[in-house]
Amino acid sequence: MTYEELENKTRRLKSLFFLLFSTEEAAAKERAAQRQMLAIEELVHSERNYLRLLRLSSGTIRNNLQKLQPPPADLDSVFLDIEDVIDVSSRLLGLLDQKLVQPGDPRFLETLCESFLGLSSDIEAAYKEYLANYNQVTVVENSYKQKEALWNDVVRVIKTSAPEVNATSLSFFLVMPVQRIARYPLLLQTIQKHTEKTHPAYALLERTAHTSIALNYRINEYKRFREVADKYKKTETLTIKDKIYRLNTHSIAKKTARFGQHIRHETGMAPKLVDEEFDALEGFFYVLEHGILELLENVETYLYHLQGFLSCRTEEFDLDMDGEKAPICYKEITTALRQWILPTFEKRMRTLIRKPLGALRDLLVGPRNLIRKRLDKLLDYELIEAKSNLSYEEQDVANTYRTMNTLLLNELPQFTGVALQMIWSVLGTFSCLHRDLAADMEQLFQSFAQQLPHSSMERGAFREWAESAVLEGARRLETLCRSVEHTLNGPVVQPLSPSSRRRLKQLTDKHGSGKIYQVVGSVVGSRDLDLNLARGELVAIISEADTRGDKRRWLVDAGGPRGYAPSSKLIRYHQPTEDPPPSPQLTLPDGVTETRRHSYTPESQPMTVMSQPCFQVLAAYDFTATGNHEVSVRAGEPVRVLEPRDKRGNPEWSLVEARGGARGYVPSNYLAIAPRPPHH
Amino acid sequence: MSWIPFKIGQPKKQIVSKTVERDFEREYDKLQKLEDQTKKLHKDMKKSTEADLAMSKAAVKISADLLSNPLCEQDQAFLDSMTALDTAMRRMDSFNQEKVNQIQKTVIDPLKKYSGVFPSLNMAVKRREQALQDYKRLQSKAEKYEEKEKTGPVMVKLHQAREELRPVREDFEAKNKQLLDEMPKFYYSRIDYFQPSFEALIRAQVVYFTEMYNIFSELTDQIDQAGLTDEQRERETEAKLSELRALSIVADD
Repeated sequence: MTYEELENKTRRLKSLFFLLFSTEEAAAKERAAQRQMLAIEELVHSERNYLRLLRLSSGTIRNNLQKLQPPPADLDSVFLDIEDVIDVSSRLLGLLDQKLVQPGDPRFLETLCESFLGLSSDIEAAYKEYLANYNQVTVVENSYKQKEALWNDVVRVIKTSAPEVNATSLSFFLVMPVQRIARYPLLLQTIQKHTEKTHPAYALLERTAHTSIALNYRINEYKRFREVADKYKKTETLTIKDKIYRLNTHSIAKKTARFGQHIRHETGMAPKLVDEEFDALEGFFYVLEHGILELLENVETYLYHLQGFLSCRTEEFDLDMDGEKAPICYKEITTALRQWILPTFEKRMRTLIRKPLGALRDLLVGPRNLIRKRLDKLLDYELIEAKSNLSYEEQDVANTYRTMNTLLLNELPQFTGVALQMIWSVLGTFSCLHRDLAADMEQLFQSFAQQLPHSSMERGAFREWAESAVLEGARRLETLCRSVEHTLNGPVVQPLSPSSRRRLKQLTDKHGSGKIYQVVGSVVGSRDLDLNLARGELVAIISEADTRGDKRRWLVDAGGPRGYAPSSKLIRYHQPTEDPPPSPQLTLPDGVTETRRHSYTPESQPMTVMSQPCFQVLAAYDFTATGNHEVSVRAGEPVRVLEPRDKRGNPEWSLVEARGGARGYVPSNYLAIAPRPPHH
Repeated sequence: MSWIPFKIGQPKKQIVSKTVERDFEREYDKLQKLEDQTKKLHKDMKKSTEADLAMSKAAVKISADLLSNPLCEQDQAFLDSMTALDTAMRRMDSFNQEKVNQIQKTVIDPLKKYSGVFPSLNMAVKRREQALQDYKRLQSKAEKYEEKEKTGPVMVKLHQAREELRPVREDFEAKNKQLLDEMPKFYYSRIDYFQPSFEALIRAQVVYFTEMYNIFSELTDQIDQAGLTDEQRERETEAKLSELRALSIVADD
C-alpha cells in the first residue's frame, strides 16, 4: 500500500469515525489515539536514534581512537559487549520495517509487541552481559582520565567524530544501553496508558510491558551473580566475620553466672541443686530466644513499611509534562525503583532473611520445652536424691533427669552456636542487600547524569539553587493567584437584598446613580475618619480625593456614616433596574403639560433634585413622515421633544428632533417615556 | 455548560459561540485534570515519605535492639560487628532524614502551594458561569419583549430590559476574556514551577543512595562472607537449619 493510499484510508476511517460518534466524543477519542500514536512513535524514534549513536560510537569513534598514537589501553574491552546490543536493536527495528506497517496503522502496535516479545530472550542475553561488564567501562575510562594528554585526545576524537552530539566522554555513549533497557518499561506503560482496553492488541501490549520489567529483574540478578563470582576470586584475610564462624559457644556459656539469676526470675522457682554451667547455658538460650523473636518482629515491621512505600506509586502522575526532561527522568528512575529494583530487594529480604529467621524461631520450641521439663524432673529428683535406696520408679525419675540434663548440657551450646552463626550471616546478608540496592540505583543514576541541567553542580550549590528556585516559583504563584482573585472575584451583578436596595435608593436619591460604588473587598479603617466596610456594600462617592488631595482615599457616604475608603477597593456599581418607574400617561388633549414635567429641553421646566435627567423620550412606534413638516422615526429611537404641540397648539402633535438632527412633527401618542441609564 | 437542563429563559440568540465555549471547556478541563493530578501526587509523595521514614526507623531498631541484647557482650568480635551495623544504620537514618527534609521543602510544600490556587480559579469559573446565566436570563427577557407587538409599554419594558442587560453582558464578557487569557497561562506555568522540584527530587535520591553504597560496601566487607550467590546463601542456611534439626533437643517429643 502506498503512503497516499494509506492516508486516504485513514482519512476515510476518520470521517466514518466522526459519523458514528458525536463530534466531542470523536474529538476526545481522536486525541487519545493521537497520544497513543505519539507514544508509539517515541519508542520507535528513540530506538532508531539510540542505535545510530551506538553504531557511531563503536564504529567511527572507536576507529578514530585506535588511530591515536599510542592507542589507548584496553580499548577493546570497553567495546566488547556493545556489538550484541547493536545487533539486537537493529533486529528489532528490522522486524518493524519489514512488516511495512506505519505507526498510524492499528496493526503497528501488534507488530511492535510481537517483535519485542520475540526478541526478548536475545535482548536479555545481550543486555545481561553488557550490564554485568559495565563497571569495566567505568574503570577503563577513569584510567584514561588520569592521563591528561590522553584524555584530551579522547575528548577531541569524540567531539570531531560526533559534532552534532554534545558528548564529552566515552561513557556518554556507552552508558546508553544501561539506560535504554530501563526505559522500555516506562515507554511501554505510556503506550498502554493511552490504549483502550478494547484495543485488539491491548493484552499483547500488557504482556510486553510485563516482560520488559521481568527482563530488567533478571538482568539485574545476573549482574549481581557475576559481581559475587568475580569477588570470590579475591583472596581472603581473617577478619571479624571469620572469627564469628569459629565461635566457641562453650566458652561463652562458661563466662557468665548471672544468667542463673535470669532463670530464677523467669520460673519463680529456685532449685536447690545449682548447676552453674547449666544455668549459664539456659540463660543464654533465653537471651537468644528473646533476640530472635525481637529480630523477627523488627524485620516484619521493616518489610511492612517497605510494602507501604512500594504501594505509593509516585511515578504515576500525569501533569502533562512528558516533554520535560526532569519529570521524565524522575518517572524512569521511580519506575525502575518501584517495579524491579525494590521488589528484588524485597524478595531477597524475604528469602534470605525473613524465612530463615522464621524457621529458626520455629526450632526454639523444642529446646524451650525440654528445658522446662528438665526443671520439673529436677524438682522431682531433688526429693529423692538424698535417699540411698531408690525404688524402680525413683530410679527412673533419677535417670530421666540425668539424661535430660546431659543432653541439654551437650546440645544447647551447639544449638546456640549454630543459631548465632545463622543470625550473624543474616545480618551480613542484610548489609549486602542494602549495598546491592544502592549499587543498582547508582548504575541507574549514571545514565541520567548527563541529561539533567544542574547535575554537575556541587551538593551545596545545587541545594541553594533548588531552594531559591522553589521560592521564586512560590512568589510567582502568589502574584498569579492575587491577580486572578482581584480581577475575577469582583462582586457579582446580582439582585440586591432588601436592605441593600434601600441603601441603593437612599444613596441614589441623595447623590445620583452615577456616584454609586460597590466595595470589592472588606475594608478595615486604620486612620481617623476611615470607615470599616463589608464586601459588597454600596456606597456613594462624595469626593475622589481626601482633604490632602490623596486620590487613593475617597470620601464616601455609606448610607449614614461618612468617611474615607481606599479607592482600590471600590468599583462602579451598575444598576440593573428591576422595577421600572410607572409609565406616565401618554398624551391627552388636556393636562398634558403637567405630565411632561420631566422632558429635557433645557429651556423648559426647571430641573428637579436629580443632578442629571434620568428619563428620556422614545418613539414607541415606527412613524413615517407623510409631509415636509413631519419626521420619520423608528420604534425605540430616542428623540428630543422641542415642542409638545404643533404650531396651532394642537397637543396631538409634537415637534421633535430625531437621530441625525432631523426635526419634524410626530404624533404625540407615538412617544413614550423610559428611564435613561446613567452615563459612564 | 452542557449539563444544564433546558430551562425556560434560554435566549434564542447564541450568546457565546460554540467554538468559544468549547475552547473554554477544554482549557478548564485541562486545569481540572491538573488539579486532580497535583493533589494525587501530593498525597502519594506524602505517603511515600512517611513509609520511607518508618522503614529507616525500623532498620535502626533492628540493630539497636540487637546491640542492647546481652548476646553481643559475649564476644568482642560480635560486639564490634553489632556496633558497626548499628552505626551504619544510624548514619543511614540521618541521611534519610536529610533526604526527606529536602523533599519536603522542594517538592511536597510546593505541590501543596500549587494546589492552593485551584479554589480561587474554580470560584472564578463559577462566577463566570453565574454571570453567563444572568446574561442569558436577561437576554431572553429582552428577546421576549423584542418579539412582542410594539406598544408603548412594551417599548419601555424593552428599553429597560436592554439597559439591565448591558452591565451584565459587560461583566460576563470581561470575566470570560480574563479567564480565557489566564487559564492557559496558569496551565503553562506548571512547567517552570515544577521543574526544580523534580530535579531536586532526583538529586536528593542520588545523594542518599551514594551514601548508602559507601556505608554498606564498607560494612559488608567487614561482616559479610564474600563470594556468595543467593543460592549459596540459601544452601548454607538450609545446612545450618538441618544441623539444628538433627539435634535431639530440637525434636518435639
